[in-house]
Amino acid sequence: MPNPIPHQKKELNQSQQLMIFVLSMSLFGIANIITEIVPEFSFGPVEFSVSYFAFIPLAMVFLFSPLPAALGAPLGEIIFADLLMGDFGGIGELEGFIEFALALYVAGLLVKNPNSRKQIAIASLVGVGIDQMLSTVVDIGKVWVGIEELEAVPGVPESILVLEGISFVNEMVISGVLFGLIPAMWLVPRLHGKIEPLMGFAPREDVSFRSAKEIVGARFLVFSVFFIFVGMISEFMAEMDVNFAVWQPEFIEQFGQQFLWVGVSAAIIVLILAVMGISYLKKSSSSGNPSRKAQ
Amino acid sequence: MNRIRQWLSKINVETIKIELMNTAYGERTTLMAKLDPRVAIIWYLLFAILPWLFWNNTILIGMLVYMVILTALSRISPLILFLLCFGLVTEAGYVIFTALFFGGDLTAAAALLTFTMKLTIISLASIVIFTNMDPERFSDALLRFKVPETFCFGISYGYRMLPILIDEYQNIFNSFRLRGRFPEKKGVLAWRYVYHFCVTAVKAFYPMILNTAKRTRTTVEALEVKGFTYGMHNPEAKELKLSYLKTTKKDVLFLGITGVVLIAIIYTGTLYPIERTIHQL
Repeated sequence: MPNPIPHQKKELNQSQQLMIFVLSMSLFGIANIITEIVPEFSFGPVEFSVSYFAFIPLAMVFLFSPLPAALGAPLGEIIFADLLMGDFGGIGELEGFIEFALALYVAGLLVKNPNSRKQIAIASLVGVGIDQMLSTVVDIGKVWVGIEELEAVPGVPESILVLEGISFVNEMVISGVLFGLIPAMWLVPRLHGKIEPLMGFAPREDVSFRSAKEIVGARFLVFSVFFIFVGMISEFMAEMDVNFAVWQPEFIEQFGQQFLWVGVSAAIIVLILAVMGISYLKKSSSSGNPSRKAQ
Repeated sequence: MNRIRQWLSKINVETIKIELMNTAYGERTTLMAKLDPRVAIIWYLLFAILPWLFWNNTILIGMLVYMVILTALSRISPLILFLLCFGLVTEAGYVIFTALFFGGDLTAAAALLTFTMKLTIISLASIVIFTNMDPERFSDALLRFKVPETFCFGISYGYRMLPILIDEYQNIFNSFRLRGRFPEKKGVLAWRYVYHFCVTAVKAFYPMILNTAKRTRTTVEALEVKGFTYGMHNPEAKELKLSYLKTTKKDVLFLGITGVVLIAIIYTGTLYPIERTIHQL
C-alpha cells in the first residue's frame, strides 16, 4: 500500500509504516467503541454528544509519519465501530474515510515540532474543521440529490441548513476543542520521545516527515476546503431561495433564523477564544518550558 | 417507554463486547454466510447504489420488503436492529420537527419518507452482509478485488483484536477509578460526575496508547518473520492464499433470484407508481 512518499526527509520502511498504520487503526477503533458508550444529552433536536475522540488520531499524526497514521484512523473507525457494530454505511463510509484521512493528513503536516502546544492547537482545530466542513458539504449535497424537487417542499431546505449548522458548531466545540485540542495538547508532548523507542524508531524532529512542497500543498488544501464550504452553502441557499443572509424586515420575527445567528456567533466566539488562548500559550511556552523527553 | 429503557440499559461495555465476539467468531450457518464473499460484495454494491436512482415509492417499498425478508432469514441480533431503527426514527423526526417550525407541512414528512426508505434499504443490506460474513473471507474477497493489502489485513486484524483491546481498556479504566477519587458533590446537572468520567476516559488512553504501541510492534515483527510484506507483493503467494475462493451453483442461483425479484419490483413500480405530487410554490 502506501508507497514511500516522495520529497520526504526521513523515509520509513514498509514494516514501520505498517506498524504506524495498525497502531492508529486499533487506537481510533477502540476510541470509537468508547464514544458509543458515553451518554448523550439531547436538548430537543440539539444533541450534545461526543461523536469521536479526535485527540487519538490527531496525536498519531502529530507524533508519527502523517500519511500512514491518517489512513489508519478512519479505517479503524470503519472496521471497529461500523462494520462490527452493524452500522456500516457502505459507499457512504468511503466519503467519511476520504474526508477524515485528508483532514488528518493536512493536520499532521502543519505540525513541525510536537512539543509546541501552539502548533498542536492550530493543527487540531484545522484538522477537525476540515473534516466537519467537508462532511457538511456532502450531507447537504446528499439531501439535495435524495429528495426530488427539494425547493418545492416548504421548510425542508431551511431546516436542513439549521440542523447542519447546529451540528457543525456542536462538533467543533465538543469533538474539536473539548475532546480534540485540549487532550491532544496534554497527551502529545507527554508521548513524544516515549512512544517511539517502544516502536523502534527515532522521535519526530523538525525536518522529519515533511517537505516544503507538502506543506505548501497542505496550506492550499486548507483554503480550498474552506472556499468549497462557503461556495456550496451559498449556492444551496441561492438555489433553494433561502434568505438567511439578506436582512429582511420580518427577519427578527422568525425565531429559527435567529437561531442560526446564535450558532454563527457562537462559532466566532470560539474562534476568538481559541486565538486568545493560543497567543497566551505561546507567551507562556516561550518563557522557558523545556521539552519533556524520556530516554 | 419501559421497554425502551430496558433496551437502553443493555447498551454497556459487556453487551457490546459479546455482540462483537458474536460477529467475529459466531457460527455462520445462515444463507448469506455460505455465499462466496465476492458475490456477497457485488450484491451489496448493487443495493447500495440502486436506491439512489429511484424516486418511485412503489419500487422503494418493494426493495424494502425484499430486504426485510432477507434480514429475517439472517437472524440479526435484535440489539443491532433496535439501534438502527432508533437512529433512523430520531433523525427523520428532528428534520420534520424543524421543517414544521419553518412553516412546512406534512409534504415535508412525505418527502423525507422516501429519503429515509433509501437509507433503510442500504443499512439493512449492509447489516445482512457484514454481520454474517467471516472476516477472513471478507478480507480475502477484498484482496481479490485488488484492494490494497494493508487494508485487507487491517480488517481481519481488527475483527480478531478488538475484544482483547476492549478488555484492556476496561481494565485500565477500572484501575484509574480504583485509584482515583470520585467527586463528593454532584454539581449542577451532575457536571462533576460527567467531568470526572470524561477526564478518566481520556487519561486512561495514555497507558493504552503505550501498551498498544508495544503490542503492534510485536505483531508486525511476527508478521515480518512470516514474510508478510514479501508474500503480499508476490503474485504466486497471493494466488495460493486466495485459491479457495470459488463461486458455486448456490451463488449463481442467488444472484439469479435477486435479478428476477429486482426486475419484478421495477416492473410493478412503473405500472403502479406512487410518487409524491410536487406542489409548486
